[in-house]
Amino acid sequence: MRLVVADDSAIVRDGLRHLLEAHGYEIAATAADADELLAAVESTRPDVALIDIRMPPTHTTEGLAAAAAIRERAPEVGVLVLSQHVDADYAFALLREHPSRSGYLLKDRITQLQTLLDAIDRVARGESVVDRELVELLLRRPATRDRLATLSERERTVLALVAEGLSDRAIAERLWLSVKTVETHVRHILAKLTLPADAQHNRRVLAVLAYLRQSDGAT
Amino acid sequence: MIRQPAAAWAAAAATLALLVVDVVRQLQLGVADTGLAFFAFATCVGVAAALAVARWQPRMAVLILAWLLLSVADDLGVDWPTSRPVSTVWMLGTALLPATYALMVLAYPAGRLRDRSERAFVAVAYTVGIVGMSFPLLFGDPRDCADCAPRVPSLLFTGTALDLGVEAHVFAAAFIALGLAFIALIVRRLLQAPPGARITLFPLGLAAVFAAGDFIAQRVVVLAGGGGLTPTLDWLDRFATLALPLAILFGIAAIRRRRGPVGDLVVELGSARPGEVRAALARTLGDPSLQLALWLPEREEFVDEQGGRVDIAAPGRAMTLLGPEQEPLAALVHDERLVAQRPLIEAAGAAARLALENARLQAQLRAQLGELRASRTRLVDAADAERRRLERDLHDGAQQRLLALGLALQLLRDHGGDPQLLEQAEAELQLALRELRDLARGIHPAILSEQGLAAAVRSLADRSSLPVTAKVADDRYPLAVETAAYFVISEALANVAKHADAHAATVSVARMNGHLLVEVSDDGRGGAAAEAGGGLQGLADRVGALDGRLTIESADAGGTTIRADIPCASS
Repeated sequence: MRLVVADDSAIVRDGLRHLLEAHGYEIAATAADADELLAAVESTRPDVALIDIRMPPTHTTEGLAAAAAIRERAPEVGVLVLSQHVDADYAFALLREHPSRSGYLLKDRITQLQTLLDAIDRVARGESVVDRELVELLLRRPATRDRLATLSERERTVLALVAEGLSDRAIAERLWLSVKTVETHVRHILAKLTLPADAQHNRRVLAVLAYLRQSDGAT
Repeated sequence: MIRQPAAAWAAAAATLALLVVDVVRQLQLGVADTGLAFFAFATCVGVAAALAVARWQPRMAVLILAWLLLSVADDLGVDWPTSRPVSTVWMLGTALLPATYALMVLAYPAGRLRDRSERAFVAVAYTVGIVGMSFPLLFGDPRDCADCAPRVPSLLFTGTALDLGVEAHVFAAAFIALGLAFIALIVRRLLQAPPGARITLFPLGLAAVFAAGDFIAQRVVVLAGGGGLTPTLDWLDRFATLALPLAILFGIAAIRRRRGPVGDLVVELGSARPGEVRAALARTLGDPSLQLALWLPEREEFVDEQGGRVDIAAPGRAMTLLGPEQEPLAALVHDERLVAQRPLIEAAGAAARLALENARLQAQLRAQLGELRASRTRLVDAADAERRRLERDLHDGAQQRLLALGLALQLLRDHGGDPQLLEQAEAELQLALRELRDLARGIHPAILSEQGLAAAVRSLADRSSLPVTAKVADDRYPLAVETAAYFVISEALANVAKHADAHAATVSVARMNGHLLVEVSDDGRGGAAAEAGGGLQGLADRVGALDGRLTIESADAGGTTIRADIPCASS
């Protein structure tokens, strides 16, 4: 799998390169800012671009803008934005327009190899990725907790994985269940929460996240 | 303000000396008549008027004397009718006289022209006067002209005498046009002058219109082929010469009679509220644009009654100092056209002395308060900037190092490091990274400056331990306002969670009439109050630094509502 890594910190850039190359990924290019990143994506057409959210010149959300630009211009290239912020607004900003092949991952995860590689692979497969910590934050919201009271323990676990962007098959693997069972769970959950059952996989992620973030029971 | 009466005295002496020469010579020649006597009298009155205004309007005095000097030079022509130097001086004086008269009238009372049209008019008048006279100067030979005075060509005479009849008609027509324009300018001045200035401008304008009418009539006679002056016009000319200084002296007398308003001012100031001294003075002096500039000696600057700095040197404005010049109490900055009223202004200033002393003390206090507020705002701004910098440094520095360390640990695992030790190190590292992130968020939440108040409040609501309903529009406000509002909401929500025993909280942020209204309310047990050194007091200080107000409404068992009202002009 071919990757482009964009991060303005040289230590992080080089560290990621070594680590990912050691695990069989090809680093097609690295970039220190958004312009370099867009040029590298244009010329190397990687499977996934790993993008730090803060890059020069303002060190704020250049990464989000670059990710959106890549999804516009090169739809076959996935984007995984690495962020320091556990804030749902940033994730929504990334996923709202382009939910598929997009991921919002806490930057800490680059020190948790398995989580990182898993996220890269899922984005490359066209799925969405939302960092678990963010999903847990939303599930802990008191208003949300009250609204999820009708779900069983197992259903809540499945809901969390749906919110993280996992496909039914990935959830089945994660929980040692059959795909069919997962599908049944998901159907029940969506029905209980009165969310549209036929939503496409990636739109489903957005719908669930928005549901988790509502202030009260009203939709 | 420059006061140079000495220059005016010297010019006055020169004018009178020349007048004596003129009169003595005409007596010697036996041509002295009642006309000469009247002219001498008018000139003396003019000198007296110039000296009377010299103290307050030195430029004006110089202009009046310049006009008188040219008038006397104009009269010298009859004294030495065959002297070519006198003939030259006579022609030059006659060339400059009308324009100088216009300049003097239009520049009254400050000695300065007020706008471009007046300056253009005076320039054209001088040009026409000089160009018109250049023909007689160079080509005029009046030796055959019986009633001409003088009767010799100028020193600049080229030797070629031309018939100047056509030229005289052309310039007579030009002067008639200029005379009409002059009258128009005077009428405009009278209409535009502030009410307080009209009392001196009106008599002067009347005299000037009279003089201009006579001037035009003389040119009409020339156009009609009448040649020189008719005796009637000659006498009108003399009256016009006398009318101008009389008008000036009349204006001064009128001002002296107007002490009445000053008495009213004393009464009015007795009941004036603080901040109304300027308005009272403006009414008394008839200048709505009047500015009161109070002198603060220790700051060495002029301020208004609100304590804001005053610019005392604006174009078209004149200043009158009140109190001793070295240690003034205040200055009145007024319309330049009011300078003739300076005696009245000084009298008003003296009458208002006590009120001015008071106003100065208050202005001093206000200026100090304003300074204090500004320094408080600067302190908060600096602290906020420092917080943002710290937050960024944590992300760009410490966090990057820790991440690099984590990447090294991963590589170490691949190179056969002890898995158990590595796992421990990685767990520690995760904890360190999380603590660093929380620390940075507490110092300054990046989402506030990057995505705005609404996103930051949603993020606070996500983290709250009780249900929070947030009504915040996705608008952006100035950074300082957003930051203050954010910390109010953050602290208030933390208080609710800790102390209130509440089931839910509501946050609303709305902009109304240039204010940002922030409200956090809960359904808890109430009883909250701002204690010195407590979190709420800190918030009140922060909001106060932006000129805002923080109020806490917390009846027992009735829930608590914290409101911040922050001025917020524009985003």
